[in-house]
Amino acid sequence: MTRLRSAAAAVVAGPAGAVRAVLAGPVVAGPVLAGAVLASAAVLALTSCSAGTIADSTSASSGFVGGSYSSTYYRPGSRPAAPAVGGTTLTGSRFRLAADRGKVVVLNFWGSWCAPCRHEAPALAALATHFKNAPVRFVGDDVHDSPAAALAFERTYSVGYPSLSDPGEQVALAFHGTVPPVAIPTTLLIDRTGHIAGRIVGEVSYRGLRALVTKILAGQS
Amino acid sequence: MTQDLAGRAAAERELAGESELAGERELAGESELAEGQQPRPGRGRLGVVGWLRWGWRQLTSMRTALVLLFLLALASIPGSVLPQQSINPAAVTQYYAAHPALAPFLARLSGFDVFGAPWFAAIYLLLFTSLAGCVLPRTFRLARSARQPPPRAPRILGRLPQAAGFATPWRPDRTLESAAALLRRRRFRVRTGDGWVSAEKGYLHEVGNLLFHVALLGLLASVALGGLFGYKGNRLLVDGDTFANTPVGLDVFRPGRLVSAGDLQPFSITLRKFSASYITSGAQRGQPARFVASIRYNSRYGGPLTRYDLQVNHPLNVDGVQVFLIGHGYAPVFKVTDGTGVVRFDQAVPFIPVEQSGLTSAGVVKVPDASPRQLGFAGVFLPTEIDVGGRLASAFPAADYPRVSLVSYAGNLGINGGQPQSVYSLDTSRMRRLAVSPRPLAPGQSVTLPDGLGKLTFTGYRQWASLAITYDPGQFPALVSALAALAGLILSFLVRRRRIFVRAAQVGLADGAGGPVDAAVTTVEVGGLTRSDMAGGFETEFAELASEIMLEVRGAAAAAAGSGGAEASAVAAKGE
Repeated sequence: MTRLRSAAAAVVAGPAGAVRAVLAGPVVAGPVLAGAVLASAAVLALTSCSAGTIADSTSASSGFVGGSYSSTYYRPGSRPAAPAVGGTTLTGSRFRLAADRGKVVVLNFWGSWCAPCRHEAPALAALATHFKNAPVRFVGDDVHDSPAAALAFERTYSVGYPSLSDPGEQVALAFHGTVPPVAIPTTLLIDRTGHIAGRIVGEVSYRGLRALVTKILAGQS
Repeated sequence: MTQDLAGRAAAERELAGESELAGERELAGESELAEGQQPRPGRGRLGVVGWLRWGWRQLTSMRTALVLLFLLALASIPGSVLPQQSINPAAVTQYYAAHPALAPFLARLSGFDVFGAPWFAAIYLLLFTSLAGCVLPRTFRLARSARQPPPRAPRILGRLPQAAGFATPWRPDRTLESAAALLRRRRFRVRTGDGWVSAEKGYLHEVGNLLFHVALLGLLASVALGGLFGYKGNRLLVDGDTFANTPVGLDVFRPGRLVSAGDLQPFSITLRKFSASYITSGAQRGQPARFVASIRYNSRYGGPLTRYDLQVNHPLNVDGVQVFLIGHGYAPVFKVTDGTGVVRFDQAVPFIPVEQSGLTSAGVVKVPDASPRQLGFAGVFLPTEIDVGGRLASAFPAADYPRVSLVSYAGNLGINGGQPQSVYSLDTSRMRRLAVSPRPLAPGQSVTLPDGLGKLTFTGYRQWASLAITYDPGQFPALVSALAALAGLILSFLVRRRRIFVRAAQVGLADGAGGPVDAAVTTVEVGGLTRSDMAGGFETEFAELASEIMLEVRGAAAAAAGSGGAEASAVAAKGE
């Protein structure tokens, strides 16, 4: 869990340390001994919120560092329905998740600025090719990014599938109450009936994702 | 505070004492069993329960709490010396690179995650237990003491700090009755016995004490509530941009221990326009006059949008979450065309102010998908550029004469390997500095890179605002608790608890010859005792009460006898 948190925070929190340091000054845990009890309360307040965990009840919480990842699989029957999301892709066409009912959808949340996303991109591109003839749809959701940079990323890694342009994280928000993405990158797997069957937090691996997609495709429990 | 607590605890114990004797005996007897002075367990005498009891007493002693508090302060030092994963992961990565041997060792000791370390948790859980274990029983003791009737009157009232005596011909039982009646009228809690009256007043002192202790527990609970279910986040938003309150949308996310991604209130905020105005003349020149972040928000995905003007100290409240405006700056917009002639980058890049008087801001631009080489730029944005002896500076925080000065690099940004890095720093270790003059660019101006690597255009600038998102369900309970604690403290300072004892006994007559019954003399002793006489003035109060009792008794005696009756001796107030 600790590892999961650190890695996730590493991805998400990159910019913030610097911002905070410059704008607000570093917040140092310095207990002022104004009174034993009140001071300790302050210390408790400080400490209990400065350490964070992206805990999720449904997560399998096996940590990921570097190339490994945290992967969760939901059995049929315990799969929450995916929200009706959609929008404009980076190339300007329309995309609706519901239109892909009957296919397994691999929905990858990414950004061109995100180092782990760059590292996992070849695996995703290769898997999209691998499942080209199967009822599997790969789609990206490009968050916190600009189209020019995102399109340049897609060219670098020869990404053959479309990506929603989602600078305001609205698609990610739509998954609130189901299985939300908790870091960048996060990959959600949606089964043929439109239910969320799996989530990978952090980088995907070629083999791991292939096995998961195959499993969901086969409809095994 | 601690001394006060301990002192008060001793006083409470005395007042609450079951001891028959008030005064010095009570002081000497009961408070012997002060914390930390528990008899040590004898060898082999105490069983497991005894040891546990002893351990618990040690843990809940004030001394232990202080030691733990000190340890907590000590333990948080590495948290501010070593880079922390949760605050600045990039710095942790750098630390690993700089100290390859030491870093894994420190990591095993949770040196990069001090506030989440098991040993840190151990300290504050022990502290919490110690405080709760100290405050809870005390609370019960106080509650008991507040309900207790006054103790029996001591045998010899003359030993009390305040004492007085007089004689009256009135019979002892009648004397005591009228004294008790007076004390009741003075709103004392009165207990009578054979030959004595015991009265006590000032229970509000105990109520105040009780309130203070309960409020302290409430404060602890509120803090725990906030720590478990609250979260904090930061987000920097450029004019026109939107963010969603999800872990994905926050730049920094520090959740409480029991917060999961799905617990975040699903609102979105769009920064329509940030505007700042500055004082343009006088000694205050350049000081901010007003910041307004005009935003639009909704409280759930696709919900109706509401407008709001976010200002410093004027936060937005959405579903119990507070959104504060905590900073602002400039985000110059850059367009980068690579060697192949294609635009690979076109966006606003937030620069971070490095000084406040002119808002000179530093930032980096990374173009990882440029061909044939990755490009990187580092430099400054100057809102009002001036040249101070060949050095660039900004004279005013408003963008009156905006310029950008950049140093250009080409090579490997080190971002493709999957190792997260800050978007505000450029790792130039595997990059080559390009021979381009970092002359200041005006909006619309470009710099052409050598070797056909491409071109960068500074197309303009936008402003950004940074928001702090705080959700603390313990905030309101904490406020209530703090106010209650204050009220309790004031109450216990202002109200003193005091006891008045009256004893009356018939003195054997020197001669019973022919005299009426009234001729018998009753000696009346009045004693007074107070603890926690913070406000002072008990002496005066006692003297007044004593003479009132005397007058009352005499008055009653006189009324009953119609007239006559022996004169009582004068009141002799001893007073110390």
